[in-house]
Amino acid sequence: MRVATQSIVMAILCAYTMFAAGPFVWAAMLSLRTTSEIHLDHFALPDPMHWDKYPDAWFNSNYSIYFMNSLQVVVGAVILVTLIGAMAAHCLARYRFRLNRIIYFVLFSTIIFPPQVTIISLFQILVGYGLYNSKLGLMLVYVAIQLPLTVYILESFFARIPADLFDAARMDGYSDWAIFWRVALPVAMPAVTTTVILNFILLWNEFLFAVVLITDEANRTLPLGIQRFIGDTQEDIGMIATGLMIAIIPVIVVYAFFSEKLIQGMTAGAVK
Amino acid sequence: MAKAGRPAATDDGVRRPWGAILAFLLPALTVYMALTAYPAFRTLWNSFHVVLPRRETFVGLDNFVELAQDDIFWHAVRNTFVWAAASPLIEVTIATLLALALYAKVPGARFFRVAWFTPVLMSYVVVGILWMWIYNYDWGPINATLRALGLDGLARPWLGDPDTALPALILVTSWMWVGFNMVVMLAALHSLPREVIEAAELDNCGWGGKLVFIILPLVRPTLLNLVVLSFIGKMKIFDLVWITTKGNPLWSTETVSTYVYKRAFEWSTFDLGYPSTIAIVWFVIVMIAVLALTRAFRVRDKLEY
Repeated sequence: MRVATQSIVMAILCAYTMFAAGPFVWAAMLSLRTTSEIHLDHFALPDPMHWDKYPDAWFNSNYSIYFMNSLQVVVGAVILVTLIGAMAAHCLARYRFRLNRIIYFVLFSTIIFPPQVTIISLFQILVGYGLYNSKLGLMLVYVAIQLPLTVYILESFFARIPADLFDAARMDGYSDWAIFWRVALPVAMPAVTTTVILNFILLWNEFLFAVVLITDEANRTLPLGIQRFIGDTQEDIGMIATGLMIAIIPVIVVYAFFSEKLIQGMTAGAVK
Repeated sequence: MAKAGRPAATDDGVRRPWGAILAFLLPALTVYMALTAYPAFRTLWNSFHVVLPRRETFVGLDNFVELAQDDIFWHAVRNTFVWAAASPLIEVTIATLLALALYAKVPGARFFRVAWFTPVLMSYVVVGILWMWIYNYDWGPINATLRALGLDGLARPWLGDPDTALPALILVTSWMWVGFNMVVMLAALHSLPREVIEAAELDNCGWGGKLVFIILPLVRPTLLNLVVLSFIGKMKIFDLVWITTKGNPLWSTETVSTYVYKRAFEWSTFDLGYPSTIAIVWFVIVMIAVLALTRAFRVRDKLEY
């Protein structure tokens, strides 16, 4: 009886796993087959494997440009938001002053803002400053949209660092900045890594702000590039699948190395 | 959790180095003011104007009056609410069941956890394209399976049929987010006090009883958070719809976000005032809904204890 229940549960879990992972396995198979092969049978195994489709997609359809654009914008934004966010979080966690909780609350409540509240005026503002349709403009906007979450995660970590550590540093003659840079930040490295990975993935996948703020082919990020790519290649399923896999691979690599960190980041705050 | 509270650093009356505080906060506040607060207020200002390139005319509440009579907007609101109501239920329920299975230490739990979490890492653009193929009428795996089973009558263009398009997209978001919810639930379950559960076991409390009377009440705060997070996420939904259906067919998948985008940047009206009005009204609706949701859970808490 017990064995029967267990096997039913296992069967359900395996079925769910197929449902969850199946689409990727299928996409990975499609990415190694040509469209004419695919049209013969949509679910056959890739045989032979057409690895050459990857360089083909990369070199013949501006993919390298999209990829580098995404890399520049996202890496730039992640570095900035981590630094700025960590400074603010350290300050809010460490110093007690009037306005402290108000600033924290205002920043935090922005997390629930629907993006429409800012996106139309951001368009106007960036046009006004000549930053519309530029990677710099998009990068700054990315810093702004990820700032609340970054401060929220880091503040809760900084707040748990024992005050004795700071008092000792102060007695050793550390300045306020040195305490942040050489004491708080190194101690908070686990939390900082978490926010870095989380922000990287969220921004790597970001679409709405990119589609509104970027129109030039030369400045498109990867999600926009893929959208463009489907428009251009229409029914060339095999090639699109290769394109999708190129976008997925960096995320999978990050996930393979940092899955625990990432899960921590994404679940931070949701468990109380 | 109780390891160390907020540092008792400032045994008050102690240092408040305003220079350092300001220096630490200034970059963040500048970014916030310039790229979040100012745009938000400008949107509010826009909502009372007709905003054409180089010309802005004050129109008072005209935009709001027009919005009240805008059928497409209300259609979009209805769709978005259906989505935001269905998703948390589906996602959190399935996620809780899966998390309980892993909590009970089924074999291969580590692998399951990693595999289930993966969909949430993909961008909606990638996910959207993949699922357009899955729902494809001629060769998509869903219709292929139905035909193989001899159920040809049930095969349909899932995203092209006004009756099935919205449920089909809701299924996609659930597919993406169940794993995330499961991981959070699992973390919450692991942080439960072991003694309480062991005590229940001693009292001969069965699996069902343990779940209903002990586990679920203890993880209620996490459940609430997940429901609210899922709800907020669906109130914002844009990317998936934009990639797959653009709100078609017959507005059946139009969401507030896609409608704002269309009115601001797609339809050649060039007016940014009206879409701003939609954004402001929507913002108020979302806030009220989130407050109501949090309230509803709290009230029930009080009744029970």
